[in-house]
Amino acid sequence: MSETKDKIYDVVIVGSGIAGSLIAKYLTQKGKTVLLLEAGTGSYDLSQNWKDYQEYMKTFFMSQEKGVNSAYPVNLDAPSPSLNSLSTPPDDSGYFVQMGPQNFGSNFVRINGGTTQHWLGTCLRMLPDDFRMKSTYGVEVDWPITYDDLENWYGFAEYEIGVSADVDEQDYLGIKFPKGYRYPMRKIPQSYLDQKLTEGLKGKTIEFENKEYPVKVVSTPQGRNSTPDPDYRPVGFEPTEKWKKGEKGFQVEGAVSPWDLGARCEGNSNCIPICPVQAKYNATRSLFGAKRENMEVKFQAVASEVEFDPETNEVKAIWYKRYEDKNSPEYTLEKAVGKVFVLAANAIENAKLMLASEKEKAHPLMGKNLMDHPVLLGWGLLPEPIGAFRGPGSTSGIPSLRNGDFRKNRAAFRIEIGNWGWSWPDSAPYKPLIQSVDEYGRFGKNLRETFKAETQRQFRFGFLIEQDPQVSNSVTISPNYKDRLGNYRPIINYNFSDYTKNGFVAALKTYKEIFKWLNVENYTNYNPSESTYFEYEGIGFSWGGAGHIVGTHKMGLTEKDGVVDSYQRSFDHANLFIAGCGSMPTIGTSNPTLTMAALCLRTAA
Amino acid sequence: MEKQEQRKWFLRLSEALTGYGQFQLEGTGNVDDFLATLEEIVKPDITNRLLLEFSKLWENDKDGNTLEAGIRNHLMTDPLLGPVARNLIKLWYLGSWYQLPALWRENFGSHAGDYDHVISPRSYVEGLVWDAIKAHPQGAKQPGFGTWAFPPEVD
Ligand SMILES: Cc1cc2nc3c(=O)[nH]c(=O)nc-3n(C[C@H](O)[C@H](O)[C@H](O)COP(=O)(O)OP(=O)(O)OC[C@H]3O[C@@H](n4cnc5c(N)ncnc54)[C@H](O)[C@@H]3O)c2cc1C
Ligand code: SF4
Repeated sequence: MSETKDKIYDVVIVGSGIAGSLIAKYLTQKGKTVLLLEAGTGSYDLSQNWKDYQEYMKTFFMSQEKGVNSAYPVNLDAPSPSLNSLSTPPDDSGYFVQMGPQNFGSNFVRINGGTTQHWLGTCLRMLPDDFRMKSTYGVEVDWPITYDDLENWYGFAEYEIGVSADVDEQDYLGIKFPKGYRYPMRKIPQSYLDQKLTEGLKGKTIEFENKEYPVKVVSTPQGRNSTPDPDYRPVGFEPTEKWKKGEKGFQVEGAVSPWDLGARCEGNSNCIPICPVQAKYNATRSLFGAKRENMEVKFQAVASEVEFDPETNEVKAIWYKRYEDKNSPEYTLEKAVGKVFVLAANAIENAKLMLASEKEKAHPLMGKNLMDHPVLLGWGLLPEPIGAFRGPGSTSGIPSLRNGDFRKNRAAFRIEIGNWGWSWPDSAPYKPLIQSVDEYGRFGKNLRETFKAETQRQFRFGFLIEQDPQVSNSVTISPNYKDRLGNYRPIINYNFSDYTKNGFVAALKTYKEIFKWLNVENYTNYNPSESTYFEYEGIGFSWGGAGHIVGTHKMGLTEKDGVVDSYQRSFDHANLFIAGCGSMPTIGTSNPTLTMAALCLRTAA
Repeated sequence: MEKQEQRKWFLRLSEALTGYGQFQLEGTGNVDDFLATLEEIVKPDITNRLLLEFSKLWENDKDGNTLEAGIRNHLMTDPLLGPVARNLIKLWYLGSWYQLPALWRENFGSHAGDYDHVISPRSYVEGLVWDAIKAHPQGAKQPGFGTWAFPPEVD
């Protein structure tokens, strides 16, 4: 055992994902000294980072599965969950111990920059009603803060991520912006598919509980580089010391590769698992924006226990296991000492670390209310070729069904329009090509032509269904389940309430209706052999996870209804912040990272 | 089979199986790698039998309209050669070797290297499937900003 001697940092942060990196960036700029502990591999040196990135690309090219984590090295000292081989729970064959009854279908990656390395980059704001579900609809809970409290922090987060969108398209369902607000970059062009759907759905409405709701295609705000807005200026917040007053125009900062700095999205269609030109935001951009002289980063340092002062209950230190070689189980135990501590290891790892450290004294809500967006897919063939498999994974959606009186009775959803054909539902083009050859016996010109005709009309919707918080959906630990370094593995209990399942039923009705309007040949098929299959009201569904891991250390007004306050400060430990999507009391229908980034910027201030 | 002969028939066979001309196949830079893969995994003996069978169909195709039927009715139905030919198509289209069917392995032996794997970064990037679907390999040969807004290519 050794202690990282002498040095006492102003702040010790665990995790270099977007939560940890943003907080580190702004604290170091304010003159605080920061030690950042990152469990995965990586480097704080730009040129090494570039080399690592090229290695990730090579790993991706050589990977047979090309799945979500396929670009990143396997690391048993800081394991990441894999989604390649989900089987029916209970199942402890992966990193997660899945207790069911449903599988938890989302993952993350433990590497520098964290999960933003393979996120899609969708950057939607939550709706004002998402923050007050109890008062508006009598369901779920209210947040201790409102949309108004976060409005300017949203602007800040959009600046930091470099979001591309046109503001006059985004003010729907109560979302508002301060006067004169603009996004840093212009919207990403909408795909040809989006344009066709916009035309086809013009003026259409759908009925729920005797009310008509518009079905309207809108371009999606995205954390990928488009054309910077030359008239951009921050409205409602002050970004960095570098931003000169009166200055105009947005500049992309800190792309990891000096050679591709600020590259626009080139349509590599590979945002998940890795963007080759770094047009998509990942958290290493923010990490590299930190003030270097105030910042120390330790990679291959897995936080394993938080030590508390028995008198004051404050955090004294964080113990971490440092390994030299990711292929070996050897490590040394070291200790990081600071005045303030921030856990930013993601919702599952934060909860796990606190449970491992506090044991029976843990907050009763720690690890509870785990949420995600179960994604229900609907897929089919459009009457005409629309040029599938081109561009970013999704450039538009149908957000108009995110809110309404129906939320008293069932979950809402946002519809994502997928640009990559049936790649999600059918592993296209791989699986159908193999099928054409092996099962249909096609070869030669016939193969080439039929395959083109079949794939060009493919499209799919993804319904991201809101999940309501349930204390029974949880992360727990047990001495029976540990990883190679002796750290706990997350045990997950997960299920859907009827409220959420009613959202599935409404989603099914919605795509069936839309398919009729557009003359789509429906190929959707939920196979009972899939590990996520379930039946409800006589209908079978299978679904996938969205990667939106939310709710395990929810914020509240008091320690009775929350683990942390609205600044993500622990009620139980005055010098500890637990940051990330785990703090969110509800998930709404927006991908959570933008909201979480806004919360973290508010924390850092 | 002599090396140069072998390469010639391999190219002709690949052309007939994939529907892509020899010019395009050469352009992928994968011809030699794929021939070597075949020889390594199913061994030179079976590789040469495949090429020889194909060369007979080719030679018999005097007026240029029996080759396809020949492939369908003889090559593809052959218990030894059919699965290997299908693997060659997948290799060209997807850049990966896929494990041969269980029955094949039982009858003709299992070989080292006969498991699902990508041959090389180039084999993936140059996979014919991307051209076939009028797209580009995910993560490479990026078509440029905003191109996804254009109407699809039709011929
Ligand atoms: C496929 C996929 C697509 C997604 N797409 C979107 C999207 O379009 N929009 C959106 O809003 N969200 C999306 N998400 C979710 C988004 O990626 C996450 O919400 C976000 O990245 C979480 O950031 P974080 O910093 O909290 O955690 P992470 O990014 O997971 O970072 C945590 C960091 O902490 C490190 N760490 C973990 N444990 C320890 C430990 N014990 N000690 C030290 N370090 C540790 C990890 O290595 C990691 O680097 C997606 C997720 C997935 C999986
Ligand atoms: S479409 Fe390609 S270039 Fe654009 S963000 Fe995604 S991976 Fe990067």
